[in-house]
Amino acid sequence: MVDPIPGELPKPLRLLAFPSRFLPLGPALTLAVRRFARRRPAVFERLGEHARASFLVEATDLGQSFLIIPDGMRAEIKVLSSRSRREADVHVKGPILVLLGLIDGTFDGDALFFNRAITVSGKTDALLALRNTIEDAELKPSDLAGLTGEAARLLDKAVFGAIAGARRLSGSQGQGEAA
Amino acid sequence: MSIELVCPAGTPSALRAAVDAGAHSVYCGFRDETNARNFPGLNFSPEELTEGVRYAHARGAKVLVAINTFAKAGAFDPWKKALENAEKSGADAVILADLAVLDHAARNHPALRLHLSVQAAAATPEAIEFYQQTFGVKRIVLPRVLSVEEIATLNAAVSVETEAFVFGGLCPMTEGRCSLSSYVTGRSPNLSGVCSPPEHVAYEEGPGGTATKLAGYTIDRVAKGAPAGYPTLCKGSFVAEGKTSHLFEDPVSLNASTLIAALARAGVTALKIEGRQRGKGYVAEVVRTFRAAVEAIEAGRDEVEVERMLAGLVEGGRQTSGAYKKTWR
Repeated sequence: MVDPIPGELPKPLRLLAFPSRFLPLGPALTLAVRRFARRRPAVFERLGEHARASFLVEATDLGQSFLIIPDGMRAEIKVLSSRSRREADVHVKGPILVLLGLIDGTFDGDALFFNRAITVSGKTDALLALRNTIEDAELKPSDLAGLTGEAARLLDKAVFGAIAGARRLSGSQGQGEAA
Repeated sequence: MSIELVCPAGTPSALRAAVDAGAHSVYCGFRDETNARNFPGLNFSPEELTEGVRYAHARGAKVLVAINTFAKAGAFDPWKKALENAEKSGADAVILADLAVLDHAARNHPALRLHLSVQAAAATPEAIEFYQQTFGVKRIVLPRVLSVEEIATLNAAVSVETEAFVFGGLCPMTEGRCSLSSYVTGRSPNLSGVCSPPEHVAYEEGPGGTATKLAGYTIDRVAKGAPAGYPTLCKGSFVAEGKTSHLFEDPVSLNASTLIAALARAGVTALKIEGRQRGKGYVAEVVRTFRAAVEAIEAGRDEVEVERMLAGLVEGGRQTSGAYKKTWR
C-alpha cells in the first residue's frame, strides 16, 4: 500500500476560499478560456473529436465542481456545488491543489492515478485528450486573464507563489517521493 | 559524455521539459498510428516536430523519431509520410521496427540514421547483424528480457550501438508480438499503437474499490487507497487454479538505476527512459534525477538514490530491476 499524495487544503485555507463560491467564477472562466482560444486556437486541436465532451471536475476539499466543455471559442465552464448531481462524459475527483497541479504541469496524471490521489470515471479517451491538451498548453494565469508584459509576469508570480505556498502547507509540493 | 540519456516526450512542452532537465536525446512520434504511443491528444504534428528539433539542437540535444509500429498491408502511406516528415524536420534518427519501413527508409532516405525499435525484439547477434547489414541500422534498442550479463555477451558480438531501458513502464513479453488487447478491443499495440485503446477503458467506483474495465470486461479491481496500475490485459488479475493473481505481469515499473554502471560496463551506449504518455512533470523529474545519477557514476561520486526519489511516480507503487537481474518468480 502507498499513502495517497497529500494535498487537501488545510482548514484555514478552505475558509479563505469559501467566499469564492459567491463570485461569478463560471462566466469569468468561460470568457477567459474563450479569449485564450482566440489567441492560441492550435492548442485546442489536440482535443480532436472530444472538444464537445463534458468534464465534471470535482474539487473534493472545496465542495465545488466545475462542469467544463473545452471547445475552444465555444468553451463553457459552470461552477456547481458538489452536492448537485450532474451527468457528464467524464468525472474527475481530487483535492483542488492536486487538480491545479495537473494544469500547471507540477503533477503527472498517471502518477496521481497510480497513487489514487485522483479518481476518474467515464470516457477515458476524452479524459486523455483533455489531459494532453492542457499539458501542452502550458497555461499560465496571465493567459486566462489576457495580460501580457510586466503585468502578466507579476500576476503569474503572485498566483504560482500562492499555490506553491498552499502546497507547502498541505504537504503536496512534490510528486517524486511517495508520501 | 559517455552515457547518452534518451528521454520521452509526448508533446512539445514535454520535449522542452526533457531538454531543459538535461536529456541528451529526446524521442517522440507523430500524431497517428505510425508510433506505438498513439493516444488522444498526444504526439507531434510535422510542424511541431520541426520546432522541437530546432529547440533541442539549439541546446545541444538530439531528437529521435519513433515510427515503430508495423505497417498495414495495402496502407503503407502513413509510414512513408512519417519518414519523409522526420527527415524534413532535421531529426537525428528514426526508430523503426517493421521490415518494410526499414527497407523503404534505407532505399529512399539514405541520410537518415536508423535505430531499431525495441518492438523488433532483436536479441541475438544474428538478428542484429541482419538489420545492420541489410538496412544499415546504427543502434539497437534492446528487448527488456535480457540480463546484464547477456547484454555484455551480446555487445561483445556485435558492432552496432545498443540502447537499454532503465526506467518506466515494463513490457517484458516478446516485444513486437503482443496482440493481447486485440482479443477484446480489436486494436493492438503493434498495429494501432495502443496497448489498451482508451475508448475501451472505463473505471467504476464501487464499495469494493475501483474496477478497471476493458471493452466491458472487468480486468482488475483495486481496493480503496491501494496503488493502481495501467488498464492493460497483461496487468489484469485473473483466477487460475483457484488463485487470483496478476497472472501475466505485476503492475510495477522498471527501475534499473542501480545498474547504470553495470550496463555501461556491458557496452551499452544509451539509457532509455519510458513514458511518452506521461506528463511533463514526470518527464522533468525523471530526466533530472537520471541525469544526476549518470553524472555521479561518471564522476565516481556516491550513487543517487533514484528509487527513493522517484517512488511517487511508479506504476502500482512498486519498482523492479526486471530481467536485468532475473529474479522473477
